[in-house]
Amino acid sequence: MSGKVLTITSGKGGVGKSTSSANLALGLALSGKKVVTIDLDIGLRNLDMILGLENRIVYDVVNVVEKACKINQALIKDKRTDNLFLIAAAQTRDKSAVTSEQIIGLTNELKKDFDYVILDSPAGIESGFRNAMLPADEIIIVTTPEISAVRDADRVIGILESNDKTQVSLIINRINPTLVKKGDMMSKDDVLQVLSIPLIGVVPEDSNIVSYTNIGEPSVLHKDSNSGAAYKNIVKRILGEDVPFMEITEEKKGFLQSIINFFKE
Amino acid sequence: MGKVLIKGKNFLGFEIEIKAEDINKIKKELDIVISSSAHFLKNTIVTLKLTEKNKLYAKDVIKFLNEKDIDINAVVVANKKNCAADVPIIETRNIHLLAEREGEQAATFKGNLRNGQTIRVDGDLIVAGNVNSNSYIYATGNIFVLGNLDGIPHAGYGGNNEAVIFAFSMNPPQIRIGDFITRSPEEGVKIKNRNAAFSEVAYVSEGNIVISTYEEWLKLKR
Ligand SMILES: Nc1ncnc2c1ncn2[C@@H]1O[C@H](COP(=O)(O)OP(=O)(O)O)[C@@H](O)[C@H]1O
Ligand SMILES: [Mg+2]
Repeated sequence: MSGKVLTITSGKGGVGKSTSSANLALGLALSGKKVVTIDLDIGLRNLDMILGLENRIVYDVVNVVEKACKINQALIKDKRTDNLFLIAAAQTRDKSAVTSEQIIGLTNELKKDFDYVILDSPAGIESGFRNAMLPADEIIIVTTPEISAVRDADRVIGILESNDKTQVSLIINRINPTLVKKGDMMSKDDVLQVLSIPLIGVVPEDSNIVSYTNIGEPSVLHKDSNSGAAYKNIVKRILGEDVPFMEITEEKKGFLQSIINFFKE
Repeated sequence: MGKVLIKGKNFLGFEIEIKAEDINKIKKELDIVISSSAHFLKNTIVTLKLTEKNKLYAKDVIKFLNEKDIDINAVVVANKKNCAADVPIIETRNIHLLAEREGEQAATFKGNLRNGQTIRVDGDLIVAGNVNSNSYIYATGNIFVLGNLDGIPHAGYGGNNEAVIFAFSMNPPQIRIGDFITRSPEEGVKIKNRNAAFSEVAYVSEGNIVISTYEEWLKLKR
């Protein structure tokens, strides 16, 4: 088997990378894929908590790359499905504890046994981000519809482009339709206009996410959750299904079309 | 010189110019030209330039090229009358500003300039894409942005106060031309925040940087 490395990154912190990593990892696993997700936010781990697995951590990613344990010993099996495993971040170390070569080596090993290796990137554009980005086959950028988050995403996309990462798509998280309507929040189209990369999903603001995190059950486990429904659609799109965007008419006006419209008198 | 030629990169990518008048001859010549350069024409913007005589074959030629896996993005003619195609038809007079620069040194950047990126060129700079916030573009000559300009442009870098900046949608926090700089009066407020319905040109007039619509600017020049 040769799986894919899917990296979730953003530039800005607190926009929903870990929430997205947890939901997509669990969603893909529940769709029958073998998935391992690695928390690369070393020193600030929380993917284990979002997945409700924090009590099961014995070894972490630093132990693995330092060869203090075998990869198998650091794989924490999910409570709900045999298809999902987590490798937790180290809490007592910092980002300099791992190198990008080590992470590439680890993901190459994991790709042999898993369909998807999902890397939850730390914020920023320094070494922790590079460790998460360099091994990626596909990258999902998460942003909220705020100017500062969108500009940071733009910065990150520029860096990805100069590293020849071409498989890049976008999740817009925490959209609040009421605010968009009032003109107080950037719309999906405003964000796409700046970033011009393919959209893979729009996740609505969901006040239940805080309590889902507290009980360690990501949105995709909750049938009535609107963020869960959005993440399930993203899972289908990752798997290659053509899922129409809810409420949203896609068909982004390409750049060329804008040029040409200009020349049409 | 042949009656069909592929011109290097024009502002929109590649241009296939056809001067032959007979459709069979056109196809025959296209076949020859394409066999050697088809790979250049994939994944780029390709326009088709036709004359007043052969423009009625626009549809046939586009179909012929489609069958060879070459997509035409637009047709360029002097006058749209009697020319039909399923792609946009552009009249040459509407590409005046850019056509005028033909033959001069111009660097083309295709894609979006992202936050944190910088381009510096000698001569004119054409960006076929958006110039996003917190990016910088410097050209000793003119700057043409075929997209949104939200970053900071410096045209006439090095002291050419005659340089101009053109953009489909102009919203930079600051504009620099030659020795002049203009900045939005209030911090954090864009120079203009209009609906970007018109392309605009920024230039120096009587010691100030002025922004006017492309139409107005053309009239001034004449
Ligand atoms: N769609 C959403 N609606 C409401 N709250 C959200 C949403 N997505 C994320 N959050 C909250 O935002 C905070 C940051 O999310 P997190 O996934 O940890 O971001 P990151 O990993 O990018 O730092 C968390 O408290 C999380 O519960
Ligand atoms: Mg996180």
